[in-house]
Amino acid sequence: MISKKILLITATALFFFGCSSQSDQTETKKTVILGKMELSNGWARPGSKGQNSAAYMRIANGTASNDTLLNIQSSAAEKAELHESYQDENNITGMRPAGQQVIAESEKLYLQPGGLHIMLMNLQRNLAVRDTLSISLEFARVGTKNVNIPIKLRSTSN
Amino acid sequence: MITSTLRTFILTLLTCGLLVACNNPETIINMSDTSYSLLNTDSTAVSFPDDYKGNITVISFIYTHCPDVCPVITANMKNIQSQLEDTTGIQFVEISFDPERDTPSVLANYKSNFKLNEQFTLLTGTQANVDSLLGKMNILAEKSRIDSVQQDSNQYFMKHSNTIYVMDKQGRIKFEYMGSAVPPEYVAEDINKLR
Repeated sequence: MISKKILLITATALFFFGCSSQSDQTETKKTVILGKMELSNGWARPGSKGQNSAAYMRIANGTASNDTLLNIQSSAAEKAELHESYQDENNITGMRPAGQQVIAESEKLYLQPGGLHIMLMNLQRNLAVRDTLSISLEFARVGTKNVNIPIKLRSTSN
Repeated sequence: MITSTLRTFILTLLTCGLLVACNNPETIINMSDTSYSLLNTDSTAVSFPDDYKGNITVISFIYTHCPDVCPVITANMKNIQSQLEDTTGIQFVEISFDPERDTPSVLANYKSNFKLNEQFTLLTGTQANVDSLLGKMNILAEKSRIDSVQQDSNQYFMKHSNTIYVMDKQGRIKFEYMGSAVPPEYVAEDINKLR
């Protein structure tokens, strides 16, 4: 009889603990974020299936906190990563992964030709001028942002 | 009086010499004594630079798996073309330093994607011929692996020279620029000096 009571109390305690824990997680996700993360001026270069392409945009962190760009995905490419082109003093150019970029509050991150860019690897379809491309950017605080961008030859052309 | 005439004569000679020097820049690389067998986008054989002699040729170096800098170089080649009031007698050549992946048909797709007109020729070839040509033209290109994408031997990027050359009608390289950054009007101005 006593052991049944102990079991019941333990089970009840575990149930409430579980509910409480779940509630905390929900609460974290519901944290109010003032301002917004804005993606603008996006475009990507044309490319053939199996090749690579690059996407560019401006990311403006209009929130009141620093945020970090964690991951990038696009259904048009097998893999998407933030990369950086560089040039050394001998006029040799190359490219390297840029890692997870922190964007300070009220600051902008510019992804542009010859610098930081979204590397779209092993294209799953042809990207022709005037097509569009969907990209998802996952941030640590504001979560995932989706954006549709046009395929263009350069940032100022159609 | 004689002194004055002599002074004028010397001054005229110096001025002429300066003008000739400006319009006849020094040769950076002499390509006129060599020839390389390459392939056009339709797989026809091209003898480089023999087939371009008689034209002024703007030359750049790319690989089609390059998503960022090479398209900027290509765009700059188009900008140079646009800067010229008269493109008669001018050829634009892009040479791939990644012949392993850049077959003629792959280069044809690149040419189509970037809307390059008939004045543009994209060339590839055997690895040996391309390497030999790059060596002659002082162009560096080497494979570089990135851990996150190194899944098989066909996935690599390249470190490479970022160069545009202008070659005169005799096959001599006369001007060299940073391919992705040179203002196109500078190149157009130099091209006009070689006409």
